[in-house]
Amino acid sequence: MQIRNFSIIAHIDHGKSTLADRLLQATHALSDREAREQFLDGMDLERERGITIKASAVTVKHIHNGEEFMMNFIDTPGHVDFGYEVSRALKACEGALLVVDASQGVEAQTVVNAYLAIAQDLEIIPVLNKIDLPGARPEEVAEELEQVLGFAAEECLAVSAKTGQGIPELLSAICDRLPPPRKPVTTKTRALIFDAVYDDYRGVVIYARVFDGRLKVGDKIRMMGLDRMHTITELGKYTPKQVKVKEVGPGETCYIVAAMKTLGDVRVGDTITLEQDPAEEALSGYEPPRQMVFCDFYPATSDKKGNDFEQLREAVEKLSLNDASFTFAPVHSEALGFGFRCGFLGLLHMDIVQERLEREGDVEVVQTAPTVSYKVDMRGKGGGIEEIEVHNPADLPDASTIVAIKEPVCRVEIMVPKQYIGDVMKICMDRRGIYRNQTYVSETREILTFEIPLAELMYDFYDKLKGMTAGYGTMDYEVIEFRTDTLVKVDILVNGEPVEALSLITHRDKAELRGRHLLVRLRQQIPRHQFEIPLQAAIGGKIIARETIKGFRKDVTAKCYGGDVTRKRKLLEKQKKGKDRMKSVGSVNIPQEAFMAVLDTGE
Amino acid sequence: MPARIDPGPVYAMVRKAMGLDGAVSGPSGGDGPARSLYIHIPFCFHKCHYCDFYSIVDSRDRQKAFTARLVRELRALAPFSGGLPLETIFVGGGTPTLLAPGLWVELLAALDDAFDLSVIRSGIRAGRGEFTVECNPETATPELMGVLAGGGVNRVSIGAQSFDPAMLKVLERWHDPENVGRAVELAAAAGIDRRSVDLIYAIPGQTLQGWGRDLERAISLGVTHLSAYNLTYEPNTAMTMRLKQGEFAPTPEELEVEMFGLTRETLTSAGLDRYEVSNYAVPGHECAHNLAYWRQKQWIAAGPSASGHLAGHRYKIVARLGDYLQERDDGFAPLIEHEARDARRALAEIVMTGLRLREGLDAQAVLARADAIELGLGERGLGERIEREVQRWERVGYLLDDGGAGGGRRWSLTEAGVLFADGIASEFIARIG
Repeated sequence: MQIRNFSIIAHIDHGKSTLADRLLQATHALSDREAREQFLDGMDLERERGITIKASAVTVKHIHNGEEFMMNFIDTPGHVDFGYEVSRALKACEGALLVVDASQGVEAQTVVNAYLAIAQDLEIIPVLNKIDLPGARPEEVAEELEQVLGFAAEECLAVSAKTGQGIPELLSAICDRLPPPRKPVTTKTRALIFDAVYDDYRGVVIYARVFDGRLKVGDKIRMMGLDRMHTITELGKYTPKQVKVKEVGPGETCYIVAAMKTLGDVRVGDTITLEQDPAEEALSGYEPPRQMVFCDFYPATSDKKGNDFEQLREAVEKLSLNDASFTFAPVHSEALGFGFRCGFLGLLHMDIVQERLEREGDVEVVQTAPTVSYKVDMRGKGGGIEEIEVHNPADLPDASTIVAIKEPVCRVEIMVPKQYIGDVMKICMDRRGIYRNQTYVSETREILTFEIPLAELMYDFYDKLKGMTAGYGTMDYEVIEFRTDTLVKVDILVNGEPVEALSLITHRDKAELRGRHLLVRLRQQIPRHQFEIPLQAAIGGKIIARETIKGFRKDVTAKCYGGDVTRKRKLLEKQKKGKDRMKSVGSVNIPQEAFMAVLDTGE
Repeated sequence: MPARIDPGPVYAMVRKAMGLDGAVSGPSGGDGPARSLYIHIPFCFHKCHYCDFYSIVDSRDRQKAFTARLVRELRALAPFSGGLPLETIFVGGGTPTLLAPGLWVELLAALDDAFDLSVIRSGIRAGRGEFTVECNPETATPELMGVLAGGGVNRVSIGAQSFDPAMLKVLERWHDPENVGRAVELAAAAGIDRRSVDLIYAIPGQTLQGWGRDLERAISLGVTHLSAYNLTYEPNTAMTMRLKQGEFAPTPEELEVEMFGLTRETLTSAGLDRYEVSNYAVPGHECAHNLAYWRQKQWIAAGPSASGHLAGHRYKIVARLGDYLQERDDGFAPLIEHEARDARRALAEIVMTGLRLREGLDAQAVLARADAIELGLGERGLGERIEREVQRWERVGYLLDDGGAGGGRRWSLTEAGVLFADGIASEFIARIG
């Protein structure tokens, strides 16, 4: 039997999930009655946001030219926040369907995803979807694909996942054009883990692709990277219904249950071999997930007994069972109390985690301003240079010991209608972007390639881009390296006291502006007090910006007779509710909202 | 209109807590009897536009019925003094001096009969034995002063408000400023030792100089106590309505602050020290009765709308004269407000009123109460929260954490801090929870 392993990659909303369902239906894996939309997306949240967070694999049978084909089709998370997972999923494939909406055309994410597939040496079938739509212009979009990615127009298949038009042709193309799995290069077993999910009943479920050798139920397996041993208790496939199997061989995909209790027991990208007869070398490409964006979560409410923190802890721990790529560590902030510093693969990942915490964990969280991960070269004790990672401005070492601060820099692809190129260039330059490339897409659109620090993308870059391009601009990015720049820590002092939760790391040239904007926002957020409150932004000891919150002149009632005591006390108590939600720093009450002021660039 | 509260059960709880029934509750052996008494006389000539005290414009036909009812109420309340001599009495209003001299004779005799006035009759000494009557300058007559002095009254508080006829007119006060001096003299002549004058500042249109003249004039009368109140726009007063209607502009806050400063400077150099936000006295001449309020002592209340504080209970007597006049077998008057004993509330009140006093708070006593609350309610960290609040206000220079010469640690507001006593108190209350 022939085997084809492939993924579908696409820009958001270009119809990836609908196409997946249609393929399942066409191969009779799903009966029409069962063909509920977007079968592969398991979670509510995924469906609501129209994105796929977790990869999974489905195996179907198809007869082509009288020959039986096993099609393993491996779903990938669409967003490059999950780039590492995407690349692992693609590594398990020999081919990919690059889906483009025939009316929308090539978008930034199409390009970035295509690059990932090309980097994995996959055979790509460009698919123009939604050709049933009145606005569809498959010829033009095919030309765009040729311009941007070099696919010949005749390579493109035109389909409508909605009506089923072109689907048989697509199935044939998968069989004819995508290559079979490579031949085993060793008799020792090697399987690539391309995904893992947590299941309340079975523990961790691994998705794997066998490259060499075989896996059987009862095998003692070893994870070569983590160097851990487990015994396979269950092997199976999703067709998409779950079907148990005894054994899998080269080229096949499967799920594996092996009594693993947490996602910490497994790493995506790791190689499985047999304990008895281990492979000498792991399959290439294993890396631990890398958190690029960090922020703190605190309970939004705080009772005096700390129940809210416990609730947050439970929610965070539960979520981590399902998502091994986010990290968390307890933190304490003078202003916000006890919480967690969490690391995420990217901004979308952060949003998703926060939403899942609130939804699934039923906790309300205050999220501090996100910061990227910095690498800091500092003078070590022996005089040598030591590199540390800093996820929090507060953890930055003393300025005198810092040799260099390096920040993650992204390659950003921006697809933009021609008339907006000037504006987009300007915002990219403003965000410390380095212009790399401009690619002609069509008469009306171009792709701009910039290198922009991740920290600059974090603050409403996408919203700004959407705003200035009437919604037509799309972007995608990928972290390419850590790069040294003139970065400084800006301290914020409230009434002379530094408030760590408000400090930030920024480029020296932008420090004044950022500091000033932040102070203005703080001035609006912090209520007047019984005294004047100076707000200052400082680099080292040097004040770079200052604002003042004027104080009340007086706040005292003249009379307090015996009969006034109750009334007066009630009046004072009335003000208490508002105060409960404020955090006092030194002598100043700071509302929680003020801690979010850092998020707003105020441009 | 709030529902009336049956006073019977409230007073029964008080009696029990005080140990008047023999059975003493609480580890401290009960609260003991009250040593202070407040009486409210609700009659006025005219309702002044800034005043939110309960008063009815004089109708002489009801004074007699009122006095008779008050006397019966006082008899019913007398047991709360436990047979011990009263240390302070304060008669306020309204305009107490509007009560006819004959009725005053009856009232004073009834007081003497129901309560032990021996300490009061032996004169004011070390904050004990003070009997104050609020006095309208127009109503002071030699006859009335004589009656009062004869009944044991040894202090009058004269409502001057201002010596500037234009300012009095804004307040809708209809007395001749000259009568203030006359009232002071009459009281002195009758042998009433202590005379105090009330003034109001920050009246719309008042200047800093005008206020200075009022202060000088009051000092020249030789009074040893002076209350200087920043005009407050109380809800439901004519003054507040007129303000809202734009009849006048309120005094700017900056000027109010200057007037507050001028008050302290002027009075201090005349030998009157500020001992509470708005009260100044020659040392030793502080109003003992008001200090009892501010130090959270107990007091018995009588008369419509009077508020009392007994055994930790706070309550208020009905305000409407018609309701008050209705008879009850036990002699008590109905209540309209009642708050039962509550340790946390009591602590909040201690802090609130204590911060208004120059002497400030007894830190040990406050922390001991916080400890007791922590023990009783199983709460943690209350003491630390209070300490942190103290440090916070000390840092901005509004509060002094003073070890004291005798080792008694006290927390008091500084000159700068007094101006923010409410704001600071509300922060403390927020920490007390």
